[in-house]
Amino acid sequence: MKRLRIGVFKFTSCDGCQLSILNLEERLLRLLDFFEIAYFREAADLPPRRQYDAAIVEGSISTQWQRKEIMEIRDKSRFLITIGACATAGGLQALRDWANVSDYKRSVYPSPDLISVFAMSTPVSEHAYVDYELWGCPIDKNALSETLVSLVIGKRPGIPVYSLCMDCKIKGIPCLLVSRAEPCLGPVTRTGCGVLCPSFGRPCYGCFGPRDGANINSLLERFRNIGLSQKETVLLLDKMNTYAYRKARIEEAH
Amino acid sequence: MKKLIKSDYLARVEGEGGFTVRIEDGKITGLNVRIFEAPRFFESFLEGRPFEDVVDFTARICGICPVAYQMTSAHAIEKIFGVEPSLPLRQLRRLMYCGEWIESHALHVYLLHGPDFFGLESAFAGKQYLETAKRGMKLKQVGNDILALLGGRPVHPVSVKVGGFYKVPEKKTLDALMPEIERCYEESLEGIKWASSLPFSNRSREAEFVSLGHPHEYPFSEGDIVSTGGLKMPPGEFLDILQEYQTEHSTALYSGIKRESSVSPYVLGPVSRLNLNHEKLPYEITGVMKDARIALPITNNEMSIIARSVELAYSFYEAMRIIRGYQTPDRSCEEFEPRAGTAVWATEAPRGTLIHRYEIDEKGNVKKCSILPPTSQNLSQMEKDIYAFVEANINKPSGFIRKETEKIMRAYDPCISCSVHVVQV
Repeated sequence: MKRLRIGVFKFTSCDGCQLSILNLEERLLRLLDFFEIAYFREAADLPPRRQYDAAIVEGSISTQWQRKEIMEIRDKSRFLITIGACATAGGLQALRDWANVSDYKRSVYPSPDLISVFAMSTPVSEHAYVDYELWGCPIDKNALSETLVSLVIGKRPGIPVYSLCMDCKIKGIPCLLVSRAEPCLGPVTRTGCGVLCPSFGRPCYGCFGPRDGANINSLLERFRNIGLSQKETVLLLDKMNTYAYRKARIEEAH
Repeated sequence: MKKLIKSDYLARVEGEGGFTVRIEDGKITGLNVRIFEAPRFFESFLEGRPFEDVVDFTARICGICPVAYQMTSAHAIEKIFGVEPSLPLRQLRRLMYCGEWIESHALHVYLLHGPDFFGLESAFAGKQYLETAKRGMKLKQVGNDILALLGGRPVHPVSVKVGGFYKVPEKKTLDALMPEIERCYEESLEGIKWASSLPFSNRSREAEFVSLGHPHEYPFSEGDIVSTGGLKMPPGEFLDILQEYQTEHSTALYSGIKRESSVSPYVLGPVSRLNLNHEKLPYEITGVMKDARIALPITNNEMSIIARSVELAYSFYEAMRIIRGYQTPDRSCEEFEPRAGTAVWATEAPRGTLIHRYEIDEKGNVKKCSILPPTSQNLSQMEKDIYAFVEANINKPSGFIRKETEKIMRAYDPCISCSVHVVQV
């Protein structure tokens, strides 16, 4: 059987989602029977190729160079899969989308003129057609291997898109919002992490982004009822998936 | 005759960087290490955020060493609030740090740096290396297992908070990890012998080694800054003697130690820690080092793979020690009241000393912060090493100079994603 040629690409990000590929450990070695990893700077010194069966993309688009590069990668690849909150939703760095970037530059860098970046950090899907998005900060490695295996057998990856609450109930964890009045983003957030935060007794902080059709505004109303200020409720959404939560809120209003 | 040697995108490191060397008539006329990782402005968007967010946010600076960022932030803010986690909580944090050192060092030793000694483009490129790569992956996995147990997942764990943890593990769940850790400890001792038998060049050089130093422990999360140049001071004072400067052969900004008439580069990381703290290692490990004829101090940075292998073994050893002595604490988090103040804290990230400074207002929100990752502090010594190498090999073929320069950079385990503070040129 001919192995599928994979390229792994990185834009603005922390490298954690690419690391999840290496964290597949033993499973990675078995997957290599089906995949040729033809480009993966973090793990191998290989030159870029002309074509890929699938491009796996980490990181948000935040410079002119990256915008050009992602469009080229799209043209070279049969499938484009984004991995993680940065590539799928702009990442934590998209917080600058709601601020003034020249102020940011001045406060971090002694010579701000040398820094050339877009005013916004945006998801890959704003620049190129994306075949499949893996959410999470970081992604779940099981979802990653499910996606890779699905590519080989030519099916849609079986990754749930319902809210975190469903899995939390299945695990039998008492609801933090109902029983302890803690502001948990579970009801509006995609499942996928394995219900980590509620298992550790802390409210969900939204690593996996908004689930489809999330009723965000009424959850925020509920947060205000348990004593949070308007600003505090907005800050809860403004984290790694700020771009996606804000967008979902706007869409919900229409 | 003009020659331009460059590496556009260095492989087997975290993040995006490269270098350029210009040679004219047998002389170096330009040399710079380039960082083109796009800036993310962490220090800016942390301003105004509640202190509770800091630990989760700074973790996102680096997917390979998130715990280092979490711990440094948590300790700094605890210092401002005047809260000190109890001994068992401190031990758990140390255990978490062990997990991160294991995961990060095993990755670098076996998958990123190791292939350089065998002329391979990756750890999976040659049959003769496959068993070694598998050993590395197995060791790494146990590091990840420790992190997953304590923090839910290895990348961006969710359990650490200011004052302690959201939840602490039961004794028996930690005990269940012991057999695997014991097995890996034995393997990691073999790893020290393997690393010390690799073919090294004789590129030793003078440098000032800097790390944390603690009176009783091999340093992880606390201590003074110490150096082979005689420094000994709290991290806050160290920040005061640092200076950013430029050199004539590069447009990048560097950090160096201010001395009477000059500013000098310094080295952070496993080699520095080992050179300065080897007396704190257990006898079992120093015995293996002696048998493998490892001479200290290490002055050839290619041998950082040895220092990393020693620390890998130490992390397993320390993890066993902590788990054996662990009693589930009564509470997972100390109580405290937020208050205004400023503090500096440093911990030892796998790549070297990581320094954070926070100013918190009376409501508990971040007023200002600055983050100094190890990689950006190492850049000036890294460039100095490259300069010395190129100068000594100026008539060698460009391809050779390029490959060797890449190896020099890789041996530092640069984490370019972390280098939030480096000016892009």
